[in-house]
Amino acid sequence: MQESAWGWLIITYLFLAGAGSGAFLAAVACDLLAPDWSKALARAGSLVSGPLVAIGTICLVLDLEAGLWEPWRQIYMVNNLRSMIAWGVIILSIFIPIALLYAAALNEISFIGKFANKYLRILEIGGSLFAVATATYTGVLIAVVNGVPFWNTPMMPVLFLASAISTGLAAAMILAAIIDAKTINTLSNFALGHVIFLSVEALVLMLLVFMSLTRSTEAAISATMLISGILSPYFWGLVVILGIAIPFILSVIEYLEYGQMPKALVVGADLLVLIGGMSLRALIIFSGTPPQII
Amino acid sequence: MPRYGIAIDSTKCIGCHSCRVACQNQNGLESKETFNWIKNKNRGRYPSFDKEFIPLQCNHCENAPCQRVCPTGATYTSPEGVVLVNPKTCVGCKYCMEACPYKMRIIDHQRGIVEKCRFCIELVRDGGTPACVTTCPTQVRIFGDLDDPKSDISKFIAETGAQPLRPDLGTIPKIFYKRS
Repeated sequence: MQESAWGWLIITYLFLAGAGSGAFLAAVACDLLAPDWSKALARAGSLVSGPLVAIGTICLVLDLEAGLWEPWRQIYMVNNLRSMIAWGVIILSIFIPIALLYAAALNEISFIGKFANKYLRILEIGGSLFAVATATYTGVLIAVVNGVPFWNTPMMPVLFLASAISTGLAAAMILAAIIDAKTINTLSNFALGHVIFLSVEALVLMLLVFMSLTRSTEAAISATMLISGILSPYFWGLVVILGIAIPFILSVIEYLEYGQMPKALVVGADLLVLIGGMSLRALIIFSGTPPQII
Repeated sequence: MPRYGIAIDSTKCIGCHSCRVACQNQNGLESKETFNWIKNKNRGRYPSFDKEFIPLQCNHCENAPCQRVCPTGATYTSPEGVVLVNPKTCVGCKYCMEACPYKMRIIDHQRGIVEKCRFCIELVRDGGTPACVTTCPTQVRIFGDLDDPKSDISKFIAETGAQPLRPDLGTIPKIFYKRS
């Protein structure tokens, strides 16, 4: 009897799928809503989105056993539509091509990109739906597991979506700072995004932990592991302080001190958000506790 | 069609693990792999102390969470109500292992598929009983048809009021326990 059948490959997948779909949403939001100065972020977001989700999906496939050695078995993975994995396979097989095509279209890469550019709005609207589906489904995947009461709550997909948007924005901002050094000043505009989505993430995380303390014995064991038990140094250190509190404060300063913040701090805040997002996924998986059966 | 189940009288269990060895023999498992376990539960303090041995295995739930989450449909319920894994279509995603609230599934790394207790279905279809049932020196387990009121298992459940483990989880298990 094992405690958790899933390990780092699944955790990495949950994180990368979230960050990739969040980056897509950030790119679309910039391209549709914001003026010209945000184009660098839209381009960076679109470029980073598809590859992140694709790498995540590779992790997912590497975690398979018979399905990895005999890849044709993966065809069976859409047989049972009551399974969230079957839905995940469908969502990913649609979202990854759209995200790659969108990157080509927005950056006008090759003749495919120039052609797809004509259908940019359709790609943005359809892609956004599948980006939300990807980010949410990673939460639903574990939320439907009644073998682990801590995960078995509708707050899990909400938390994953909030975390996906903040990590996606962070990934897009880092790439924007790399590909276009001049854009660093305008990046301060997006600090507001971090302020909003880190707040939502913190609120949902707080609700999840508080509610879990009274929801069931097993959910309380998981929540206690996080706030005062064996995992608490990682929870408070990596998720709450490094992943949420410090980037939140830096983003507030960044927003107020428009364009004045050193580049290292801007990119540093984004890196911290990524570390926090990955740690959050890992801690949720590792704190999963099965029901007490005897 | 019968609807098979097992009744377990844990008050008779001496914790000898014969059932585990018999299962491993029957299913060709390695020494570390097993489809059944015996867990200990201590009650009270000296001098009023009691140690209970509880044999565990797949509950062959009627509302099986493992079957619901299996993307390939490799996990299925046989006409006799036995939850089985099709080794040809399992991809080894381990979602069923997460979904099982009783954590009664194991991954066979050699074959790359998830495995579990199958009520020795080949023996049972030939008129036999599962290896864990026949081997037990204190006859802890009773195997039989839950739908037949005259079967030994139905009579045992009716007489003792044996209950599944954690029926509140809603999976409708088919292993019943008399624990005191």
